[in-house]
Amino acid sequence: MQLKDAKILIGDDSILARKQLKDVLTSLGATRFVEAVNGNEAVEKFIAEKPDLIFLDIIMPIKDGISAVREIIAEDSAAQIVIVSSVGTQHQLKAAIEAGAKDFVQKPINAEQIASIVSSRFE
Amino acid sequence: MFVQFFGGFLLNKGAVTREQLIDAMEKESTAHIQLGTLAMHAGLMDAEQIEDVRISQTHTDKRFGEICVDKGYLTEAQVDELLASQYPKYLLLGQVLEEQGVFDQSTFNALVQEYITKNSIPEEDLSNKNEGSIPGLVKDYCSEFPSRNKEYQLEYIQLLLNDLIRFIGSDFTLLHPVIYSSGYPTQKYSAQSITGSYPAAIVLDMTEDTAIKFASRYASEDFDTFDEYVQASMEDFLNLHNGLFNVNISNTYSDELGLEPPFSGEKTQIKSSAPMFMFPALFSFGIVNIVLSESA
Repeated sequence: MQLKDAKILIGDDSILARKQLKDVLTSLGATRFVEAVNGNEAVEKFIAEKPDLIFLDIIMPIKDGISAVREIIAEDSAAQIVIVSSVGTQHQLKAAIEAGAKDFVQKPINAEQIASIVSSRFE
Repeated sequence: MFVQFFGGFLLNKGAVTREQLIDAMEKESTAHIQLGTLAMHAGLMDAEQIEDVRISQTHTDKRFGEICVDKGYLTEAQVDELLASQYPKYLLLGQVLEEQGVFDQSTFNALVQEYITKNSIPEEDLSNKNEGSIPGLVKDYCSEFPSRNKEYQLEYIQLLLNDLIRFIGSDFTLLHPVIYSSGYPTQKYSAQSITGSYPAAIVLDMTEDTAIKFASRYASEDFDTFDEYVQASMEDFLNLHNGLFNVNISNTYSDELGLEPPFSGEKTQIKSSAPMFMFPALFSFGIVNIVLSESA
């Protein structure tokens, strides 16, 4: 699949963080986005939209990112989830991987890291 | 980071006014260090020799370094070495203040010496590369603020200063800290709580105009009104900084702290059962107040 055709879900309670990630992905060629402002909404939008790639923050109101990963993986064990968080401790990394996340990005995001994640999954 | 503390010392001492310091910080970003400043800092020339070269410069088209060599004050090798050298940031601040006519080079050197002696700072720690004295300066700065965990508190504040420099800019001076015991009156603020063995609440507070400028720097965008992006920038800065703090604590002490989602508000009294320690960072664009309260 080409990146321009991929549907990408961005789950982050910060409108700025969503915009910054969207800007990076757009510069790489992505065109289709779905946004969620908390973990609950991310799970709902995953079920409704079936995105090809999901970026999730950990610290979010209502439902945190790790809980959302568990619920998304319960729906689809092959879901491609990337955690994007400011709390990059070994403990959080382990929790994210155990929950089913495929990658972990420490904030602040850098374009090269996002490009590498995207290029390993899309043309 | 020395310069952020040194600016506060100059203010407290009455050596500069707040307006002069802000003006100097604004000019500092575009100013260039002069050979004379470097030569004097290195102990190769004195104020009289520098003045002599400056006078000579007014009736010749030679460069400062060339005149120094002609007059035998410096060798060519020394000029090259000085121009290639790394210099401490406070030197540039001093030079700009001198150019503004706030004080002369000798007075500035005397003030630096007084500060060094007062804080027992080794000369080599004044450079940008070697900041061994910074933990001591942070400790002194927080000396009136009791803590259940002083190591974490100092780690928190030192990292916060580093993050302000990294994500907002180095053009700030720390003003004298203030302790609030009954309630802190906010302007535009964002807040976040740390959970775990070091429960604490942190508030980032500033005027609307300062918030717009703070956010513009943080997000590398040109905001002109206070909107959701400006508010998100303040929250993101806090979240990013607190996240990095948790990472440091996890790596150093194997202690896993937690974070609550940040939130924002305005014009309210923030109450806490514990004293609230407010330290103001005077940026060239306004004052950013950071309030730290360790929960009981």
